[in-house]
Amino acid sequence: MSAVISDRQIVYENVSKFYGEVLGVNRVTLSVPPGITGLVGPNGSGKTTLMNLTAGLLHPTRGSISVLGATPEHPEEMFRLVGYATQYDAFPPGLTGFQFIESFLRVHGYGRVEAEELAWKAIERVNLVDAAGRKVAGYSKGMRQRIKLAQAIAHRPSVLILDEPLNGLDPMARAEVIALFRELAAGGLHVLVSSHILHEVDLISDQVVLIHGGYVVAEGDIGGVRDEMEEQHPAQVLIRCDQPSLLASRVFLHDHVVEARVHDDGKGLLVRTRDADQFYLLLNQVVVDTGLVVETVMPTDADVNAVYEYLIGANGGK
Amino acid sequence: MSSQVQPMTPATPAVPASHAADTAPVISLEGLAVSLGGRPILKGLTATLTGRCIGLLGPNGAGKTTLLHTLLGFYPPNGGTARVCGRDIRHDLREVRALLGYMPENDAFIGGMSGVRFVRLMAELAGVPKSQAIERAHEVLFYVGLGEARYRDVGSYSLGMKQLAKLAQALVHSPKVLFLDEPTNGLDPPARTRMLQLIRDIRDAGEVRVILSSHLLRDVEECCEEVLVLKNGNIATYSNLEEERRANRKFLELELRSETEGAAAAFAEEIEARGAELAAGTRQRLKLVLPEGLGVRDLYELAAARSVQIRRLDYKKDSLEDIFLKAMEGGDDVRI
Amino acid sequence: MSVYEQTYRSYQGPLTPTWSRFFIIPRYAYEVVFRSKLFVGFFALCFAFPFVGLILIYLKHNLSALQIFGTSAGEIAKALPINNSFFYYGLWYQGALAFLLVLFVGPALVAPDLRNNGLALYLSRPFSRTEYMLGKMSVLLILLSAITWMPGLLLFAFQASLEKGWLGNNLWLAGAILVGSWVWIVFLSLLALAVSAWVKWKPVARITLMGLFFVLMGFGGTINQALGVWWGMLFSAWHVIGSIWYSLFDMGVSDDLPPAGAAWIALVAGCLLSLWLLYRRIRAYEVVR
Repeated sequence: MSAVISDRQIVYENVSKFYGEVLGVNRVTLSVPPGITGLVGPNGSGKTTLMNLTAGLLHPTRGSISVLGATPEHPEEMFRLVGYATQYDAFPPGLTGFQFIESFLRVHGYGRVEAEELAWKAIERVNLVDAAGRKVAGYSKGMRQRIKLAQAIAHRPSVLILDEPLNGLDPMARAEVIALFRELAAGGLHVLVSSHILHEVDLISDQVVLIHGGYVVAEGDIGGVRDEMEEQHPAQVLIRCDQPSLLASRVFLHDHVVEARVHDDGKGLLVRTRDADQFYLLLNQVVVDTGLVVETVMPTDADVNAVYEYLIGANGGK
Repeated sequence: MSSQVQPMTPATPAVPASHAADTAPVISLEGLAVSLGGRPILKGLTATLTGRCIGLLGPNGAGKTTLLHTLLGFYPPNGGTARVCGRDIRHDLREVRALLGYMPENDAFIGGMSGVRFVRLMAELAGVPKSQAIERAHEVLFYVGLGEARYRDVGSYSLGMKQLAKLAQALVHSPKVLFLDEPTNGLDPPARTRMLQLIRDIRDAGEVRVILSSHLLRDVEECCEEVLVLKNGNIATYSNLEEERRANRKFLELELRSETEGAAAAFAEEIEARGAELAAGTRQRLKLVLPEGLGVRDLYELAAARSVQIRRLDYKKDSLEDIFLKAMEGGDDVRI
Repeated sequence: MSVYEQTYRSYQGPLTPTWSRFFIIPRYAYEVVFRSKLFVGFFALCFAFPFVGLILIYLKHNLSALQIFGTSAGEIAKALPINNSFFYYGLWYQGALAFLLVLFVGPALVAPDLRNNGLALYLSRPFSRTEYMLGKMSVLLILLSAITWMPGLLLFAFQASLEKGWLGNNLWLAGAILVGSWVWIVFLSLLALAVSAWVKWKPVARITLMGLFFVLMGFGGTINQALGVWWGMLFSAWHVIGSIWYSLFDMGVSDDLPPAGAAWIALVAGCLLSLWLLYRRIRAYEVVR
């Protein structure tokens, strides 16, 4: 692995982490490029372990981790590079929002003036300026999420690890925070976001990592992952049109179509095909040739949700 | 609903036919005002909520939970009143509570009891006779999908199971109105899907009206027909999603893919040239309004000619997001 | 052959009458309370002294039976008068056991509900805070009644039935037993529920209760000594109830105990304080400032 490349990636080389006998993660090999990476998996699948390993809070039992060149053996460098917002709250009691962030920055070694400045910058970015003077204990859930986020970005890290950062945020705050992620990612940061809200993961991630039972079951951009799965899980597309049977008869002439089912209301056709690219080009042709009136076309399993169902299944978690 | 392999069809929104039958108002707010600790939280809300499933949205602190709590009678209103299925909360509170089922957002259970015992107790407290309570408890637990776990102490449940137990106790006494506060909180994706499916089932069975309070617009979009948006203790808007969706039918969303570089971009340019209005979007995901004379068929002809795949062709789906954002931008004045 | 569709079906049957619903709470509570073998054993032991009392009364009035026990036992029985002293000390003994029972059962009643936000579920039903508190209290009231005034009155009735004419002079004793017991029962129950509503962990609630009863006693004594006053003892529940019982059973005047009037006031104040604390805590929601 060339030094140049590894300096801009987070690299896991055969990483395993065990807590005594209990499995955290097993033989994870990944390299995470810059941008927004969605981390998806059931509760207890190893997401938190992976995040703790990346943040340098845990040492792998086996294998090696390199975060933009820094390794857990040099924790100072790693902590400087990484900002971590955990899922559960752990605030030192009695501090106000501002104090919380400023004290954290001081621990990082910033002088008082700079720490204050950076703290306010971070607080502004998460839109908590009005509440920064109040004690964190009195914050609503959404505010606590945002102050955690502020703490994660305050020291200008290059890698952001965020565990369910949108939890408890109202729709506007969600949109704001997502915009913040996009801004940071555009600036070259690695943003790792773990979430259960899969359509959001779909929306914001450049690539996803699916983890289940301590193993990484898939990684990459969602389109690519889905294409790779086409053999075992043919792509499903729902075409709402006026003559589903006509469409069915046309598409069945081709081998890559394995199933065509008329939708319950009689106005659509659900098609399963092993070659989505070919199918869509075929559809163009059918519409042009037959005058079929197409209302909508929707892939029903090309999103993270479907990939999750196929690879992890409905009974993945507890 | 026992877990089955569900076909991968997308969730269909409410079927209009049965909607028409349920236009009796569920909740009517008549100038409802509530102050807590001296601060006014709800500032004179007036609205009539109909529909089988009504979404309750709003930023943090807008008063959603306060509204639910006031309807449940946890706080007395300072001004005005409200009616649930015709019963006034000021005078007929007991009757109102008999009609309601509440699934709180936070953890809520009774320690030291098994799931069955817990739901049984909740049933009896609502008036189900002792002899029937245990049957009802099991029926509801089966319906929400808590299997063998029902015999274990509720305190030992995972988050998903606790959510199901909360839902079970809210349903067991057959309320006429169900208040769900963030029902998918903390659930992993399959559990979320199941919970939303359960909510849609309850809505479609037609016997219970659902009020769903959530921060996840997608959840509300999938289940609700109408939404009440609160902002700063006032009603920012009360909209009917069905109507909004119908109004949005002229906005098309396309997702393109092609083997050749730039073919998708060229496609976009060409339809723009033909008169379509393109909204901001990436090159792969187009949002556009078709002009008169340009139809879907023309798009396909163009796509066929240029070997561009139209991977998705759909009508604008963000009705709720739009409604919400518009409501937030508006001032504090009431808009219905 | 039919395939049954499993869907949501509502309950259409009759409902129980509203007034009877607070009984649900004691019913569920008893199921749990009597599951503990330790408690059942303890509860059985609470009847030991009344049982002994029964035997003593019987022996007093059945000289022939005395022969079996030999003269010495007979003499004791003959000498023991069944009067106000007898019932006063009897109440003391059972009263102490009542305290232990409340220590056992009290915290378990309210803590599991409050710790897990259960009140929101109770109150989202046609069920009021008052019904909730009455229901919980009735668990204690009934258990405590069973070991205080019920055996007390039983002994009284037994004695009255065996000795002609005794009833006429001692009818007031029955009243004393009843009032004395109820005062203690209500006070104990309210205090225990109030403490366990504020301190939601059972062991800590128990320790707090013990503290209130014993530490405050020491505190009261210190005040008396330091300030040279008598009213410090009003902080001690034992002295307060002792004084009340002393006066109820017409035992005379005691130097150690505060005057009965002051004791009554202290007791009522204690009950009202507990009631207030309970009302503050039994709510569907936590007020967050």
